[in-house]
Amino acid sequence: MSIEIKGVNKKFGDFVALEDVNVSLPTGQLTALLGPSGGGKSTLLRIIAGLDAADSGTITIEGTNATTLPPQKRNVGFVFQHYAVFKHMTVAKNVAFGLEIRKRPKDEVAARVDELLKLVHLSQFAHRLPSQLSGGQRQRMALARALAVEPTVLLLDEPFGALDAKVRKELRDWLRRLHDEVHVTTVFVTHDQEEAMEVADEIVVINNGRVEQVGTPDQLYDEPANDFVMGFLGEITTLNGVMLRPHDIHLSLTPELAGAAEGTISRLLRVGFEVRATVLTDDGEEVTIVLTRTHARQLDLETGVRVWVTPAAGALTMPSLAAAAG
Amino acid sequence: MASAVAVGGRSTRKRRPAWSSQKSGAALTRTSAFGLGVSMIWFSLLVLIPLSAIIVKATGGGWSTFEAVLTNDQTRSALGLTVVASLIITAINMVMGTIIAWVLVRDRFPGKGLLDLVIDVPFAMPTIVAGLVLLSLYGPESPIGVEVSGTRWSVLLAIAFVTLPFVVRTVQPVLEELETDVEDAAASLGATRLTTFRRVILPALVPAIFAGAALSFARGISEYGALVLISGNLPRSTEVVSVRLFSFLEGGNTEAAAAVATIMLLIALLAIVTLDVIQRRVARRG
Repeated sequence: MSIEIKGVNKKFGDFVALEDVNVSLPTGQLTALLGPSGGGKSTLLRIIAGLDAADSGTITIEGTNATTLPPQKRNVGFVFQHYAVFKHMTVAKNVAFGLEIRKRPKDEVAARVDELLKLVHLSQFAHRLPSQLSGGQRQRMALARALAVEPTVLLLDEPFGALDAKVRKELRDWLRRLHDEVHVTTVFVTHDQEEAMEVADEIVVINNGRVEQVGTPDQLYDEPANDFVMGFLGEITTLNGVMLRPHDIHLSLTPELAGAAEGTISRLLRVGFEVRATVLTDDGEEVTIVLTRTHARQLDLETGVRVWVTPAAGALTMPSLAAAAG
Repeated sequence: MASAVAVGGRSTRKRRPAWSSQKSGAALTRTSAFGLGVSMIWFSLLVLIPLSAIIVKATGGGWSTFEAVLTNDQTRSALGLTVVASLIITAINMVMGTIIAWVLVRDRFPGKGLLDLVIDVPFAMPTIVAGLVLLSLYGPESPIGVEVSGTRWSVLLAIAFVTLPFVVRTVQPVLEELETDVEDAAASLGATRLTTFRRVILPALVPAIFAGAALSFARGISEYGALVLISGNLPRSTEVVSVRLFSFLEGGNTEAAAAVATIMLLIALLAIVTLDVIQRRVARRG
């Protein structure tokens, strides 16, 4: 295990940021800390890096107890949401920073910087200032800078959060490929479940300062530990008192299946290839159903049409909290 | 590497003039033509025309006026004292101002808001009042037993007093905008606090520090009110240029006064240009 987090607690005044967090992050993997904003995931990352101190608990990095080590001695690479570039230095100087303060020989530094800039596809920008780069390029530079010191672990705090959707998608594919090349243990924080599922080997879901579940993207999606994880990893809707995903609902114009709920389509919304139908059942439930455009067209759906809805075969369901309470 | 950095730095700086000349090549829009016109008229009325008048006046008597002024012991001594004292205080301000700005931005302590407010007092109050304040504290009846009036220390003291806010006020906003992320990044790359300050924070502050220094120096060489009471204006000892200039005017020697004014103008210009050049050098070094 590369990073062992044991019994970590952290409070900011009265606010509990982390409560008894225990996680083991395996060597060489790409792990996502996923959760809503303010849930404590960034705090956990900063505690691993030594940029914040935990109130109690221990952090072990590659077998070394790092709990009281200052950030300088932890040998972690850190990438910030807003790049944290050294504005007055060129791209090459930024990347060289960690090596220069370690007083490595000049030609060694130059060679390493060259190699890293190639890795992040910024070779032709070596002598530019960060202000002349786009956001995505700046973040790649920050990544090269963090990798320059050959860190034991690479920590990324919402690395793509400040970028626009298209660049974000490109960079996340690129990060995955980069990780397959470099194999450094990587932990990144995100609130975007799609990003986490696409990129990570393992996801740690954190909410309200607590770890809700740890598992592979498939495990989390198919076997969520609780309704929070289920709700956070994808859309959910309620049908007959159970929670399930909107695409796991079978919709027909005739009562084909036993136990189907009868209702009327109250709203139809098309987003690209998807059609989202809202069905008001006769029991008074509002159910959201997602169908493909083709399927919706075959059925000739329109608002006001009578339909029958039922969980599709093999659908993941979970008792609804509202139903359990009622 | 250094030359590469310089090239990078220059190309960014080049960009703006190129862009603006391109813009002024095209016809100005009505509003920007109006704005430029108003600015130029205002600037000419207040600055350009009076300055030219002084220079014309000073050069009216040919070189002999300048020669007479510069060979006069008393004037030379006043010039030297003013420039040296202002340089010393400017250097001190660069350090102290940065420290005060740092404390005001980064530290939390009771009375911080009050200190932030009080910083501007030396700048805001009439300089003659500043002179009175200094005289009452460091004059002949000093309640703390420190008497500097009539010595050169009093000149330094008065200049230090009135120029205190400049570096603080130029550095403060830059420091406020400096993300702490950058320091965290340097720390995680292995930099000690000192290295981080020297290589990351200071270069970001340098332009502001030097801008404040230029203001502080300019204010220092021109100070009159705060000095006139406490320094005693002893010829060849504590008399500064502005006092000397005033006595030329009182004596009806307007040409000599204009010549001294022109020399001061050149010194101020030289100082501002020098500080700007140093600033660019230091900022580029990274």
